[in-house]
Amino acid sequence: MMIPVRCFTCGTVIGEHWDEFKARAREGDEDPAEVLDDLGVTRACCRRMMVSHKDLVDVVSPYQ
Amino acid sequence: MVNDFQVEFIEREDRRARFVARGLTPALANGIRRAMVADVPTFSIDTVRFVENTSVMFDEMIGLRLGLVPLTTPLDDFEPGDTVTVALEVDGPATAYSGDIESADDMVVPADENIPIIELKEGQRLEFEADAVLGYGKDHAKNQGGVAVGYRHLQRVEVVGDAGEFDEQEPNILRGVIEEAAAEHAEGDAEDGDLVATETFGNDLTERYPGKEVEVHDVPEAFVFSVETDGSFDVDELVTRAVASLGDRAAELEEKVAL
Amino acid sequence: MELRVIDKTDEELRIEIGGEDHTFMNVLKGELLQTDTVTAATYDVNPEQSGGQTDPVLSIKTESGVDPLDALAEAARGVQRTADDFTDAYRAGIDA
Repeated sequence: MMIPVRCFTCGTVIGEHWDEFKARAREGDEDPAEVLDDLGVTRACCRRMMVSHKDLVDVVSPYQ
Repeated sequence: MVNDFQVEFIEREDRRARFVARGLTPALANGIRRAMVADVPTFSIDTVRFVENTSVMFDEMIGLRLGLVPLTTPLDDFEPGDTVTVALEVDGPATAYSGDIESADDMVVPADENIPIIELKEGQRLEFEADAVLGYGKDHAKNQGGVAVGYRHLQRVEVVGDAGEFDEQEPNILRGVIEEAAAEHAEGDAEDGDLVATETFGNDLTERYPGKEVEVHDVPEAFVFSVETDGSFDVDELVTRAVASLGDRAAELEEKVAL
Repeated sequence: MELRVIDKTDEELRIEIGGEDHTFMNVLKGELLQTDTVTAATYDVNPEQSGGQTDPVLSIKTESGVDPLDALAEAARGVQRTADDFTDAYRAGIDA
């Protein structure tokens, strides 16, 4: 639904970087790997949090 | 017993550091690591009183997310168990960020300001007041100041001979930090005793010592610590507080034994 | 930290140290084992899920003529020195 605040595995705060990652790699056309390197999200466990995430607030909001 | 400790930094930033510590026993290294994770308290939101929550998430889900937001923790000014009141009020359409959290104390504020708490649509609203408590990582993971804290042995790489002339050299992967012991065979500038992070040569020993046969040994009593914090305080604070917590407990024990 | 002596003779001691875990006990045991007058030292903790005794129990054996409680106090001082020395070394590392 929303990006988790922290990486499930190591506990690093990753929510901080979501907006920028989304703007540059999802909506922009930069290479996600390079954006993550740039943001300092280096470990595979933290990277998968960002790469595999999908915002769902738009999907569920009509059903309140 | 005389201690002869030596600490040498490989990288040192506010929130992450890597250093080689020499002269400690495995017991002490592990004690320090465990103390960094469990025995250095941090502030974390613990109780939330919702005034209004018409977002798509339940109160409990928002409460969970709030607990995980790191708060700056000046340990000199607070005792474990102290509370600081924080509050947030956001009207949709907007996203409530950790930076929107207002704190009653300027010293205890969100360490990161761009963590999305919840996206609010038109007509949705989030308002709450919450208590942040200074607690221990031992009791709840949200209070852990150290994140991904660990150590490994410092490794010494020695060149023992040449690889067979017609052998295909396979990658020889090693991760961590090595102590240079064969500078004359290494690629680039090197001196014996240099501490080299393996990333600098792609974690592959055949890149650094091409055509050589190498042996890797652990260096006794030398540990490469890699420490990251969640932003509650900097790495130096975390390490020194963790070590001090061991000393404090020893002092308490000495006092109680004397009785 | 609650201390409770379980067994005590001239050269042997079994003592429960309430509220501590491996973090401190292993460091303390390491310190005891590096003391010459201590011939044996160990501790035992049961996991929380086991129920029953969950506080660590420290066992010390010393050479004759050395009170194990004195050895324990000396080790406690040793851990404090170690902690102080490490902090100094860390600060020196920052300045280096």
